[in-house]
Amino acid sequence: MMDALFAQLSVLGSSAVLLFGLVTLWRRSSAAHIGAFAGQSVALAVTAAMTALFTRDWQLYAVAGMLLLLKGVAIPVLLTRMDRRFGAERELQPYLNTSASLLVGGLLVLLAYVIARPLVALSQLPTRTGLPLAMGLCFVSLFVIISRKKALTQVIGFLMLENGIALLAVLGTYGIPLIVEVGVFLDALMGFLVMQIFVYQIHETFESIDVDQLKGLRK
Amino acid sequence: MNVVSGYVLELAQSALALVVAPGIVGLIRWMKARLQNRRGAPCWQPYLELRKLFAKEAVVSDNASWLFRAAPFVVFASTVAVTFLVPILAVPLPFDAVGDLIVVVYLLLLGTFFLALAGLDPGSAFGGMGSSREMTVAALAEPTIALAVFALALSAGSTNLGQIVTRTMTDPGGALSPGHLLAFGALFVVALAETGRLPVDNPATHLELTMIHEAMVLEYSGRYLALIEWAASVKLLVFFVLLSNLFVPWGMATALTPAALALAFITFLVKLVALAGIIALFETRIAKLRLFRVPELLSVSFVLALLAITSSFLWR
Amino acid sequence: MGGVFIALLSPSLLSALLALVVRPYRAWVGAFNVVLSVGALGAAVALARLVLAGQTPTWGPGEILRADALSALLALCVTFVAALAAWLGPGLGLDEGLDAARVRRFRIFANLFAFTMLAAVSTNNVAVMWVAIEATTITSAVLIPLHVSKASVEASWKYLLIGSVGIALAFVGTVLAYFDFVSLAGGHGSALLNWTVLRSEAGVMHAQVIQLAFVFILIGYGTKAGLAPMHTWLPDAHSEAPAPLSAMMSGVLLAVALYAILRWKAVVNAAVGSGFADALLLVLGIFSLAIAALSLVIQRHYKRLLAYSSIEHTGLVCLGLGLGPLGNFAAMLHLVNHTVAKSMMFFLAGRILDRYRTTELGRVSGLLRAMPVTGGLFAAGMIALVGLPPFGLFLSKFAVIRAGFAANRPWLMAVVLALLIVAFVALVAHLNRMLYGAPPAGVTRGETHLAGLVPLIFCAAVLVVLGLTVPGPVQALLARAVEIAAP
Repeated sequence: MMDALFAQLSVLGSSAVLLFGLVTLWRRSSAAHIGAFAGQSVALAVTAAMTALFTRDWQLYAVAGMLLLLKGVAIPVLLTRMDRRFGAERELQPYLNTSASLLVGGLLVLLAYVIARPLVALSQLPTRTGLPLAMGLCFVSLFVIISRKKALTQVIGFLMLENGIALLAVLGTYGIPLIVEVGVFLDALMGFLVMQIFVYQIHETFESIDVDQLKGLRK
Repeated sequence: MNVVSGYVLELAQSALALVVAPGIVGLIRWMKARLQNRRGAPCWQPYLELRKLFAKEAVVSDNASWLFRAAPFVVFASTVAVTFLVPILAVPLPFDAVGDLIVVVYLLLLGTFFLALAGLDPGSAFGGMGSSREMTVAALAEPTIALAVFALALSAGSTNLGQIVTRTMTDPGGALSPGHLLAFGALFVVALAETGRLPVDNPATHLELTMIHEAMVLEYSGRYLALIEWAASVKLLVFFVLLSNLFVPWGMATALTPAALALAFITFLVKLVALAGIIALFETRIAKLRLFRVPELLSVSFVLALLAITSSFLWR
Repeated sequence: MGGVFIALLSPSLLSALLALVVRPYRAWVGAFNVVLSVGALGAAVALARLVLAGQTPTWGPGEILRADALSALLALCVTFVAALAAWLGPGLGLDEGLDAARVRRFRIFANLFAFTMLAAVSTNNVAVMWVAIEATTITSAVLIPLHVSKASVEASWKYLLIGSVGIALAFVGTVLAYFDFVSLAGGHGSALLNWTVLRSEAGVMHAQVIQLAFVFILIGYGTKAGLAPMHTWLPDAHSEAPAPLSAMMSGVLLAVALYAILRWKAVVNAAVGSGFADALLLVLGIFSLAIAALSLVIQRHYKRLLAYSSIEHTGLVCLGLGLGPLGNFAAMLHLVNHTVAKSMMFFLAGRILDRYRTTELGRVSGLLRAMPVTGGLFAAGMIALVGLPPFGLFLSKFAVIRAGFAANRPWLMAVVLALLIVAFVALVAHLNRMLYGAPPAGVTRGETHLAGLVPLIFCAAVLVVLGLTVPGPVQALLARAVEIAAP
């Protein structure tokens, strides 16, 4: 009984995480994207905490706490600051329009279900039904990175990809060892800070953060 | 339950829907008015409007053909037919064998289709504009209804609406499954689109350029307009019934005892009032979308329905 | 036992710390850097000797640091190029047009870069290896726009984004492999992410899941290695970066990424046999080779030319890795040769850029007259890169092709030969245009900074030695490394 409840709650949590990711394909403003990312991180933290509750694994509590602090609060604040500095330009049209992007996103989730079939078949854990959703989030984030034109949105897409991988780890193996998790977090934080520096530099050099202008180097 | 009482139930159910529908529309308007700090007309105002319209003379344009006069009857008839097929008070219904969800979707579409034709018929500019907009919305919304309810049908094992309801009643855990929740989300957005509510269409607008449904019926007057308005309110009721009874069916009668029916009636009213409140709150909070953004919203609901089917399919 | 690790890893860390602490930057910091990096090179040699003597040094809780023959080989490459970069990099009292702040930034991050690469090759834990390789992306990306311009900012953004996405995919693969292992073997804990454990228990793994994991890992680390079609960041990044950084990136970062792929290949082969991984490696290898060879023909900038040549050679190494034990030996020999040759070439390109002030091929001519020694070395390096004797790359290229025939793939080798000939013609044509003729006006003649040429002449000498014969210890080390990669 507890297993069934656990399974259902974990799938609910994973669905919430994926749906926040799909919001990035729907809304065009950076503020909406940042809000979606913050919401997604909170949902992920809640899922991790709930998994910790059911498996009595204190390490996952630590992971949930880190997720909440770092990706739910700190990074969105930094992103909002960046957005306020150069988001004031007109909204850039992505390479693919919204309806088509949403359809592609839906199809990517379908693809993730197909690809994750051996994973679901192999796993014995009650959380296994959420695995395709985590993989779907990874694919959708990849699509966001390649189809959006604003450098800021590409950074958000990358952060969502990391969320997807974290969700995969939580659902598939109840999280990876804490030492590794800490290393991954530090890496992610450092990567984000460097990306932030680069968005500033792009803005300084190109007077905008439209990555479509970054095509001087060809061949 | 025996056959005769089954048919009586069907008639009673349909009559109930016809009687209650304008009241729901009035309730939503009243709630909106209160939320906007106005007094608002009382909830029974639509009944008075219908009575007034039935008494008035119907003025028909010279350019209109037989279609113009026939359309209101077709729309009304198809909507009443739907009320026979959706589970309002009790399950299972004797007409379940005749009409499942696919029939319901097509009956609703029939009404929309004829209304769009009637908008084009008199040859007025605004009518044509309303019809083309309505068709754009319908083209995206109809597949979504089908997909969303199909997601439920997958987990129930049949497209029979009564069976879907029964299945959800006997398996409460399944009601919280992501397939159901996603289908609810998709159906909610589609309900807003099909019944002409914000953010897709503003039912209280007087500006023709912002109209979708109102523009199609601009030429109608008298009893034709009364029938169309009534049919529109019944359609709203039907969607409310689908949203509440497919997803939160508890309280419905499974046996034809007076106690069960009374309980079913009360829960029916409670669910309607709750949904009316949600819609009123929603409409007060958001603004109407620009027309070219409506397909985006409908794509979102389509993707939600697609995801609902995917997760229902693999959840089994 | 732990001492050799400390001796290997601490010099670069100390150099970075020193450069961080000393503000403003002073030339003696650079001198210290050189000394420490030579020390690291010595430690790598000591490590190689330990390994050849049959030992496998380990250190740390859960054997987190572990060096076998493969690690020792890569450590030698990394420390060699790092020492070159320390010696020939900015900040040793020579004027390179960079202010003190930039030089200080270079010294800090170049050393951190070297440290992360060394950490990646000396750890036993695949997750720590991943963290280290991700850190290499970050530390190298900071340095690419050392000379700020639209092109360099664009290049560094592409590198950072594509590299990070690739690394994230590699992490997906790592998590999937861990998931596979844990689901079937049970248990929990960081010891299960040790490569030695994964390799020895690989038999329990579920075939489909580990194959899926390997696909992600190959795409992920392949992005860092510059394999097509994930190579789009490479020509931009390697051409816009300052010369010492390009040398480090082209020379050893690609090698470290291939090292990661090799480690995982060993696990996958132990789980499902060698057919699957070999097929994927062959496909990626030939694709990279094709794209690089065809792109070499239309190049107009010499640094991009060198970058595409890196893709070509990485493709060839990848191809060799898919051809069984013989191919693996050839591939690793090729890796070592390429490291030496490519880093030498990038340093020479830096010198040419300094003198000619342009990166365009069309505007560089008369190299032999303007800078005879540099020009001569450049020509030698280019001849090495196209795979002509008496340089080492000829031997290793030949060995790859021979391995291909031995593995029963004659048609594939025919295609490889054709592509190599295309690359050969393109590179030699470009080289001729650069070497002969008269230098453009405004280019002073004669060599300057002669001290900087000494290590490059040494590199050329190493290439010749490796071309005439593979010295005993090197051969033994390679043989042991092959045993680990392809048993």
